[in-house]
Amino acid sequence: MSAALGLAISHPLSFDERLSKSIEYLSYKARSHDANAAYDYVSAIVSEQQKYALYKEMFPKEWSCSRASLYRRGQYEKYSERVNELFHLINERCFPLLEFAHDDPESEFEHFAIPPLNVDLCCEEIYFDNLRTSYAAGLIFYFPDEAWEFLNERLKVSRGAFPEINSDPHPNVWNRKSGSLLGELLRLIDHSTGNPWLDSNYCQTADWYSWDRETIDELTKEFKAANEVFERLGCLDEQIEADPKKMLSALINFWNNGRLPDQRRVKRKRRWRKIQ
Amino acid sequence: MDGRSPLEILIEEGEQINPAILLAEEFMRRDAADLLVAEEIQRAEEILYNARTEIDVIRRQVTAFERSPAHPSPELPLGF
Repeated sequence: MSAALGLAISHPLSFDERLSKSIEYLSYKARSHDANAAYDYVSAIVSEQQKYALYKEMFPKEWSCSRASLYRRGQYEKYSERVNELFHLINERCFPLLEFAHDDPESEFEHFAIPPLNVDLCCEEIYFDNLRTSYAAGLIFYFPDEAWEFLNERLKVSRGAFPEINSDPHPNVWNRKSGSLLGELLRLIDHSTGNPWLDSNYCQTADWYSWDRETIDELTKEFKAANEVFERLGCLDEQIEADPKKMLSALINFWNNGRLPDQRRVKRKRRWRKIQ
Repeated sequence: MDGRSPLEILIEEGEQINPAILLAEEFMRRDAADLLVAEEIQRAEEILYNARTEIDVIRRQVTAFERSPAHPSPELPLGF
């Protein structure tokens, strides 16, 4: 029987795993040998094999210790337990793969989307109380009435005490090389950071990503960078809360005229060193 | 047309099993822990491409056949 199933005696598979392989084989043989079914089966095998190779390459230690089956279906039913293990490893160690619409056991991950980390300003209602102070301050350029109302309540500042805001920002705002926190804040709010985790929203998610080492590494790197952006905003929050009048004036001046106070650059450099 | 009847053309067509069916059988017998190397993946992708092409050709032919209007034959088929 085992020879008929292609199971050589010398194979180091456990009984459990041999049984799973046999069940997989017999259930395939019991189905009609329809070309479409065979096509889907081969596509699934190739896809799983590519993921096994990725698992082995990215997490060699976990691969060699793994007891997860290469045959039995896992939590995400279209994939083996071993591939499911890879999904969880990436979710835990690289980026939140499973948090966004991936809790359905029938989910397919051949091409996957990533959950936006930024506030959705497109269709979602904005809850200012849940926002960072700096982010709420930056919204005076996009949702002035609500933002000023919130800032008035939180920081006791009123719109009339500040210069008029131009309808369009100064081009310097988009200059990423300036290295300013104010610029980073405004680009974050505008969803134009260049980071897929920060530039997508629920109405228009980022691209669909595929399973290859380069993509996984790039998304991991960008996820880390996105979190660092939020960490750096903590510094700006402190500055705005300490002196809201001065900081909001600086922010409006930057938006209107593209000019940054030198102090902003100095403080950011100090903060960077601290993080590193 | 080369003078052959549709039935003759059909009879003379080469018969083959869709390559995806053969590859599926082959993959079923291998151990999943023996990971496919790049060349094997490439071969599988080529076979998948050919398999899909064959499936699509047959599907188109069936669709065209279904759309063909009924046509009276000048001869009575045997048995009628």
